[in-house]
Amino acid sequence: MTLIDALLQGILMGLLFALVALGLNIIFGVMNIVNFAHGEFLMIGMYTTYWTSLLLDIDPLLTLPVAALVGVLLGIASYYSLIRYLLRGPAIAQLFGTFGLMLFLRYLAQFLFGIDYRIIQKGLLIGKSLSIGPFIFDWTKLAAGILSLFAFAFVYYFLNKTKTGKALQATSINKEAASYMGIKTDKMNAIAWAIGGGTVGIAGGLLANFYYVYPTIGILFVMIAFACVALGGFGSIKGVFFAGLLVGILEMVFPVFGSLVNSDFLGPHFKFTIVYLTYFIIVVFRPQGLFGWKN
Amino acid sequence: MEKLKDAFDFRDFSRAEQVGFTIFSIFLLLFPWLGAGSFVKVVMIQFLLFSLFGMGWNTIGGYGGQVDLGKAQCVGIGAYTVALTMVWWKIPFWVSMPMGILLAVGYSFMIGYPLFRLKGHYFAIATIATSLVLQDIFANWKLVGAAKGIELPIHDHPDFLYMQFKSDTYYYYFIMVLFYVAIFYMNWFRRSKLGYQLRMIKDDEDAAESLGIDIRWCKIKAYSISAFVAVGGGFMAVYNLYIDPVSVMDLDLSIKIALMAMLGGAGSLWGPIIGAAFLVPLDRFLGSWLGGQKGLIGLDFMIYAMLIMVVSAYQPRGIWGIIEQFRRKGS
Amino acid sequence: MAFLEISNIVKDFGGLVANNNVSFQIEQGEIIGLIGPNGAGKTTLFNCIVGYYKPDSGKVIFKEKDITGLRPFDTNRAGIGRTFQVMKVTTGMSVIENVMVGAFCRTDDRHTAQSEASEVLNFLGLESVKEYHLNELPIAMQRKVGLARALATKPELLMLDEVASGLNRTETDELVLLLRRLNAEKGVTLILIEHIMEMVMSVSHRVIVLDYGEKIEEGLPGEIVKNEDVIKAYLGEKYAKSH
Repeated sequence: MTLIDALLQGILMGLLFALVALGLNIIFGVMNIVNFAHGEFLMIGMYTTYWTSLLLDIDPLLTLPVAALVGVLLGIASYYSLIRYLLRGPAIAQLFGTFGLMLFLRYLAQFLFGIDYRIIQKGLLIGKSLSIGPFIFDWTKLAAGILSLFAFAFVYYFLNKTKTGKALQATSINKEAASYMGIKTDKMNAIAWAIGGGTVGIAGGLLANFYYVYPTIGILFVMIAFACVALGGFGSIKGVFFAGLLVGILEMVFPVFGSLVNSDFLGPHFKFTIVYLTYFIIVVFRPQGLFGWKN
Repeated sequence: MEKLKDAFDFRDFSRAEQVGFTIFSIFLLLFPWLGAGSFVKVVMIQFLLFSLFGMGWNTIGGYGGQVDLGKAQCVGIGAYTVALTMVWWKIPFWVSMPMGILLAVGYSFMIGYPLFRLKGHYFAIATIATSLVLQDIFANWKLVGAAKGIELPIHDHPDFLYMQFKSDTYYYYFIMVLFYVAIFYMNWFRRSKLGYQLRMIKDDEDAAESLGIDIRWCKIKAYSISAFVAVGGGFMAVYNLYIDPVSVMDLDLSIKIALMAMLGGAGSLWGPIIGAAFLVPLDRFLGSWLGGQKGLIGLDFMIYAMLIMVVSAYQPRGIWGIIEQFRRKGS
Repeated sequence: MAFLEISNIVKDFGGLVANNNVSFQIEQGEIIGLIGPNGAGKTTLFNCIVGYYKPDSGKVIFKEKDITGLRPFDTNRAGIGRTFQVMKVTTGMSVIENVMVGAFCRTDDRHTAQSEASEVLNFLGLESVKEYHLNELPIAMQRKVGLARALATKPELLMLDEVASGLNRTETDELVLLLRRLNAEKGVTLILIEHIMEMVMSVSHRVIVLDYGEKIEEGLPGEIVKNEDVIKAYLGEKYAKSH
């Protein structure tokens, strides 16, 4: 793979990463809670697309609304059944609480579907590729990138142009001031979880078009999302978009460099290590991220 | 001397706790002669091992209130040090184990320095990040066996130098001794200057700083101390005679360690022990019971996860916290 | 050389100037009242001295040593103690344990820390509640624990942030007596930020007035209450008429 090739692939993955991280960051911004289960939400989105397309025998792309809906419901259910109660406790309990949710969903999936790696075999875009000049793109990845961009733009529009979206942003800037102005914090929290679940559900549906589904996939993507959020700045929507792109490019470009050097440590196995290291370095040296305002 | 006296001084505990601890100790001492089956013995060894891990976690996580989700890193370093030095240079366990602890302490100190620029969630996530990086390195590093792991050479005869025994009883007593060393150490620690300062940091960092406490330095110290769990890693290596990145460094191990301490009651001497006493048997029995039956994998962890959620939502101070609460109301 | 010398402190929060060129000197053994309307920059100044904030410019000299920009734990070790306007009500430690943490600032030995903590608790009349947790005590008591905690670090200069707010008349009077005793018996220099005028005026040797981040007046309590600028800036018409 050439460098430019990797760059383009990285941008496509990056758009998807941005969508994954978006929900995490909205939830963080609005209620200062880190949702460890976010990767599991993605995993459930993936399984939703996998099973819906398989059982109903429809194209995986058509299942996206179902994945989004499942994500929204999951977000709302999590908020009302668990997160609300965690809010009363200390920060340590909030951390463990969403951690518990993460484990629960992961092993629920393992219990229901087993540990097998599954991949969607049939679909309009699957196995097809598009050549533009010297570059070859998988249609599935192309669709994932473009649709992620649309979904992201839609949420961005929602947050900045609608009344609810603005209320959500007000809450994330100053909870108390927002509640004095009559914005109901509880409702805002639930909406944040709904959006968080919905967006990551869509991302899962898109990912399932070209990536294996298995119960423990969540941790990988939640760490990527953490890296994006840290890089973009906790609470910053614009920031998370560019951070997603950056992480995507990093993850694709790094192995290209690695393949030039013959070493145990620069192989493609380490593409995610680079992501974790990025997270670590960013939070340590620039805790507010590249675009962040919250610390 | 004074410190040693404090370590063995349990007078500030209630009568009930003292009696309970004594009975429990007698039970532990006599356990191998009670005729339990080999499965139960394994469970007991695991219980002691995880109590040890939990006590290590407790220094930084319980007393210091810093959620460390990467404790398995130290376990892994301890295990790999013992295994590798034995395979490469035939270094006896009694030499390699202290080496492993030193390495783990050094490693913790090194990463603790940048880590403790972070607080709360940021810290917790960063501990996961560092442990995933370490695990990735070990899983790909051919020199240390990569993902295949390392097998320790099996000796024909029992060998005390290399900690190889035929019977689990020896291993049981060995881990029991380590367990008691940890208890006495923690009993001293909780009333040491650092112990008090950590509790203040956990309660109120601004106030702690106004009382002359260098917060970051205290956390780094406690974090480095908690690396003593590496001794348990060394034990795992000689006990299982096989290690790989998943068995000694995985995130699941870190989670279990933190969880047991928290479920039992973080920041108390008995908490990690109570937590381990609950979760190790639960884990083992559920695992052997359900894991054996096809299609039921994961159910044990689901029960686990439900426990975490319920405890976090309703009683973040854990089982020991509930007992304490009742006692305070009663008195 | 003065005991504490503040010179030209400036603290700017992104355009909002909280402290502008504040300078004053304090001698050992004084009780100083630091007053000013809400938002005058009193607490900011406190934090600049103690080290929670780093001043943008200016110097803090304590006992002939430049302590500008040192972290709070360092200024504490140098001999400056402080209390907080809002105590975090925590459940983790008992009263005596709280105070012991303060005492550990000067000793490594648990038994010494324990006996010193008991001594401080006796001095403040808190010995009867030493096994309680903070959340089980009324606000006035909690503040006293905060005072005890700071006192246990053996400060030579103690800075009290609104230590009397929320107290009733009798409690305030008791506190005034206590502060006087602290000053006379233990020789602790005190700086008080206070809203309750009567209290500051009766206990302080000197009063410093801040308004909009600047020092507008400094003098004896008797002079301050008569000063036109101060009355206008802070005390308001009502207080001026009633006196």
